[in-house]
Formats: sequence, C-alpha cells, structure tokens
Amino acid sequence: MNSRLRDFRRLGWFTLRRVLALFVTVLIGVYLTIVIANMGGKVDELRKLQIRSTVSESVRADPSFSEMDSEKRNELIKEQVQLQIEQRNLDEPFIWRSFDYLAQAIQLDLGRAEEMHSDTGSRAVYDIIVERLPATLLLFGTANLLVFFVSVYAALYLSRRYGSRLDRAVIGLAPSSAAPAWFYGIFLILLFAFVVPVLPAGGMVAIPPPEDPWVYAGSVLEHLVLPVIAMFLSSIFISIYSWRTFFLIHSSEDYVEMARAKGLPSNLIQSRYILRPTLAPIITNFLLMLIGLWSGAIILEQVFNWPGLGTLLFQAIGHRDTPVIIGGVVIFAYLLAVTVFMLDFLYAILDPRVRIEGGEQ
Amino acid sequence: MTDARERLLQVRNLQLHYRTRRGTARAVDGVDLDVGRNEALVVLGESGSGKSSLAKALMRLLPRNVARYSGQVMLGGDELMGMDDERFRSGVQWNRIAMVMQAAMNALNPVVRVGEQVAEPLRVHRGWSKAAAMERVVETFAIVGVSRDFVTRYPFELSGGMRQRVVLAMALITEPELVILDEPTSALDVLTQASIMNVLKRIKREQGTSFILITHDVATSSELADRVALMYAGQVVEQSDARDFFHHPAHPYSKLLMDSVPRLHQSEPPGYIPGEPPDLIDPPAGCRFADRCPSRFGRCSEDPPAFELNGERRVRCWLHEEGTDHDG
Repeated sequence: MNSRLRDFRRLGWFTLRRVLALFVTVLIGVYLTIVIANMGGKVDELRKLQIRSTVSESVRADPSFSEMDSEKRNELIKEQVQLQIEQRNLDEPFIWRSFDYLAQAIQLDLGRAEEMHSDTGSRAVYDIIVERLPATLLLFGTANLLVFFVSVYAALYLSRRYGSRLDRAVIGLAPSSAAPAWFYGIFLILLFAFVVPVLPAGGMVAIPPPEDPWVYAGSVLEHLVLPVIAMFLSSIFISIYSWRTFFLIHSSEDYVEMARAKGLPSNLIQSRYILRPTLAPIITNFLLMLIGLWSGAIILEQVFNWPGLGTLLFQAIGHRDTPVIIGGVVIFAYLLAVTVFMLDFLYAILDPRVRIEGGEQ
Repeated sequence: MTDARERLLQVRNLQLHYRTRRGTARAVDGVDLDVGRNEALVVLGESGSGKSSLAKALMRLLPRNVARYSGQVMLGGDELMGMDDERFRSGVQWNRIAMVMQAAMNALNPVVRVGEQVAEPLRVHRGWSKAAAMERVVETFAIVGVSRDFVTRYPFELSGGMRQRVVLAMALITEPELVILDEPTSALDVLTQASIMNVLKRIKREQGTSFILITHDVATSSELADRVALMYAGQVVEQSDARDFFHHPAHPYSKLLMDSVPRLHQSEPPGYIPGEPPDLIDPPAGCRFADRCPSRFGRCSEDPPAFELNGERRVRCWLHEEGTDHDG
C-alpha cells in the first residue's frame, strides 16, 4: 500500500533525526562530565604532584641509590617523573586530552580505574560497572515494576469509585511518601532483622553464597524483600494518588462521555477510551521513573548494603576515582538516550498526531 | 395530543436533581414531553434552564452527584425508567436513542480512526463484522456529506464542520428511532451551521427519524422544528406547535423571548428580559417566571400546572387557566 510505504519513510526519517539529536545530547553530557570530574584540568595538577611524591619516595627509599649524590638523585627523580607524566599523557594540554577522553568514552572504552577494582580483580572501569549493573537493575526493576502496575491498576479502580471511603483513605495516606525509601528501610531493618529476626538486614545474598542456583536465587529473593518493601511504601500512595487524578481528568473527556452515551461496555470504555489515548504519558512516566530512581539509589543501597551502582558511585566519589565516575555517567547517559529514543518511537506508534506531524507533511 | 402522528416518546414528570454543596439543584423538575414519529421537537431555553440535563436524563448519562432521578419515560410503548442499567445500555442506548453531544468537537477519540468509531455501535450492539460495519459507515458518511476517504482519518485531521458531520453519522449509524441533538451547531460558523441543519432536514424527510433538538438559538431551530418546548428553570413552560409558538407565543416568557430575537428589516431594537433566571437550588414557591413577568397577578404566587389549549398546546401559566386564549 502506498500510504504504508509513506509511513515507513516518515518513520525512517524520524528515527534518523532522533538518533542524531540524541547522539549530540549524549556527547555534550559526557563531555561536560569529563570537564567537571577533572575540574577543568585541576585534577591533573594533583596527579602530577602525586606522581612526584611517589617517585621521589621510592627513589629515596631504594638502597641502590643511597650512595648517589643529591644532585644526581634529583636528576633521576625528575627523569622518572617526566617519564610517568609522558606515559599518562599528562604533558599534553588538558583540552586536547579531554577530547581523547570523550572519543574513548563514547566508544565505551572507559579506561582503567585509578584506585578501585572489580570483585574479580579487574581494573577496567567497564568491568567494574557491568559487575554492579545487574544488582541495581534487579532491585529497582522489581520495585518500580511493582509500584507502577499496582498503582495504575489501583488508580483505575479508584477513579471509578471517586469519593468513596477507600478513595479518601488512599488520598489521606499520600503524604506518607514524603519520607524517602531509605527512611522506611531503617525501620524495616530494625523491625524485621532485629526485633523479629525473620529477614536479613542487608547484602544481596547470604555469605558464603550458596552453590545450588535455586538456593542462591531463594537467598537473593529473601534479601530483596526489605529494600523492595521500603521503596514500595515510600512511593505507592502518592503514585496511586497522582494516577487516580490523571484518570479522573481523562475520564471526563467529552469522547469518554460520548462512549458512555453510545452504551459501550465499561471495560471497553476503560481500555479504548481511557487507557489508549493516555498510553503515551503513562509510558513516559514509567520510563522516566525507571531512570529517575537511579539517583535515589545511593543512600538506599548504602542502608541495605546492596552492591549496586549507587554504592559504587558513592565509593568512587570518596576515592576521587575520576574514570569510574565518568564511566558511570557515560553508561547512565547512554541508558537515558536509549530510553528517550524508545519513548519517541513509542509515541510515534501510539499517537497518530505525533506520527503524522513528525513526518515531512 | 399528537394524534395526527404516531407517538414515539412520552415523558411524564421527569425529575433530575443534583446534590451540590449548597443544596439540591433541581435541573429537571417535573418535565412532560411528547415526540411523535418523524417529528422534530425543539427544546429551547437559556443557559442553565436544564435543557442539557434533560438530554442526559433521557440518555441516562447521570453524573455521580444525582440526588433524584425519577419519572416516566415511554419509548414506543416500552417503559424505560424501570429498565435496569445493563438492559438499558445494551438495548436502548444507541440502538433506539442516539445522541449528538454538546462540544461535539471533542466527542471523537483522538487516537482511533473515525471510521472505526462510527462503526463501533454496530460492532458492539449488533455484532456486525468489520467489513459490513465499514460499508454502512461509508453509506452513512454519504448521507451526512462526508467523503469516504475520511473513514481512515484521525479526528485531528478533520475540520470542525467535518467532525460534526462524523458525530452526526455516528448517531445515525444504527438508524435509531430518536436522535437527541444537544446544541449540535453552537461551536460552528454560520455557513457550516446552515449546511448541518440542511442535512438534518434531509435525514428527517428521507429516513423518518425523530429528533429532539436542544438549543438556545431560536433562529436556527425554527428551520427544523415541528414542535417547540420552552424550558425555564427546570420546567417546560410552553409546548406548542412550532408555527403557533413562533407566531403566537402563549406564555409571557415565550412572548418576551420571541421579542428578543433580532429580525431582518426591523426598525425598533430587539427587546430583552430584565432580571435573571431563578436559582435552581431554591426556586421560588409560585410561578418561577413571576419575578420577571410583566403580566403577573395574584395567582402567580401559586405554582401553575400545565394548562391545555386547543388540545395541542400546553402552557404553564395562570393566564391560561380557563383554557381561554388571552393572547391578542
């Protein structure tokens, strides 16, 4: 069909433009992080000083150089320092190297950590981060999916029973979300790990980790319960509240009233007249929530001693380990860009208004 | 009454009251209406006179804060008020009574192709196949003057007038006995209004559909009207044959209303009605128009019943107590 072909061409165009735009965004974001994490080159001065002090210390401590007169020894130190600086390209101006860093980062060549290493002993930043990623994804994926589906479902239910006792109770509980998840976490640990010790206080798996994969999975599940409950408690009521209001607004649209007048069954009205026109904002909200909760992960992961990216970033900042910080941001930027791209794409599929206006018409 | 034509809809003492913060608002307060087959009844009234609530009450589109919903509605011999919601939804709504809503501009789902939306009642209520329903959509589009290419378009690709026609097609698709039009043309420009009214006239002539046209626009409604019901503060104050109503209005409010309509080649400025319509929450005890009525007298402190004049006309005014015509 001709119109189908036209649709495809539009979609291709649209995709290309979005990919380019997002790539530029990632480029700018990563570059800014490189400049900031290196404090515009100031970190290099620190590194040079560090090299100088380690080299001079090792030369002075080496008994084979103890006979040397100080003139010559200083010469040697200078040489060695120069060698190390050249080895790390620290003699080039920062602005040049910043572009090198950028090129490497974009290719996901995240370099080597200054201080940290992965559990398997690798110093490659990529390994360090990828090792932690599944833990974070498991925890936040579980909690967010749970919060999302429970709240959307409950909100749909409440929006049909607007003003009922249950509805008012949920609204009354909404301020409970003022406290962050880690705050609930502290109480949950206190209650269920110490007062009534039924669940582990922290970590992701029992120590030592069980050999059997099923027992291992069970142990992870057990460790997952408290942090997930903490996250669930801190966002469920406000989430239900906002979705309920959202659905209330959209179920008073004229076309919903029209669908009621048409005598359509209520489940059809709900799926075709309330959910379908609002799918785009619902999905946006979902994906942005997935991204958004990463930043909140630092404290929660600390409280539950969860070996995720939040803990990693926290440690990296403590060690001033710039490659790890930059690496974390690069991965985050990529995930964000992929999410935004997916959103654009879904929008185009879900909403005919976007699909057609996004084209060349 | 409408013996000349077979009677289709008979409404007696219809009440629709809303609970509000300040008390109970009597939006529809004891309305009697009759609509014959192939007849167009125009329900006239100012904003807030309860005419849209009347449409909602007939379609059973009730908001959450209903305080009272009662009366008798007979459609072709079937009593509708006693019917349970499920039977009413699947048997009456859109099967026998369809509606064009006020604000028809947004009456279409933005993410569903208009053809599918128009076909929906056939698919849902009558279980038609998609192909058959689409064929009927194209036929109905032809009746209301929409090109068949529009079937696969989305609402935002249509102009206001086209959307209005599509909504009209949606109301006609099941060939219902009665179509309620709630301010169908108030958001459109004059030319589009005129062409929609022409479509309605043609449908009435060719398909034998009955209409209830709810509007505040005296001039536009006069084109289609067979009979007129004038609403004031939740009540029907006069119900007459259209010709009688437009030329010899009986109720003092009708007279003032007709005087306020500007006419072509008219030398004196159109009149207006001083004062405001009463509050529906606490309406005055007697005649609701008494405060603004130039011909009020002692009796007006009592609530007037509807007096019948010449068999065809019902007027809610003490001036017509003996059935004698005070007009003139």
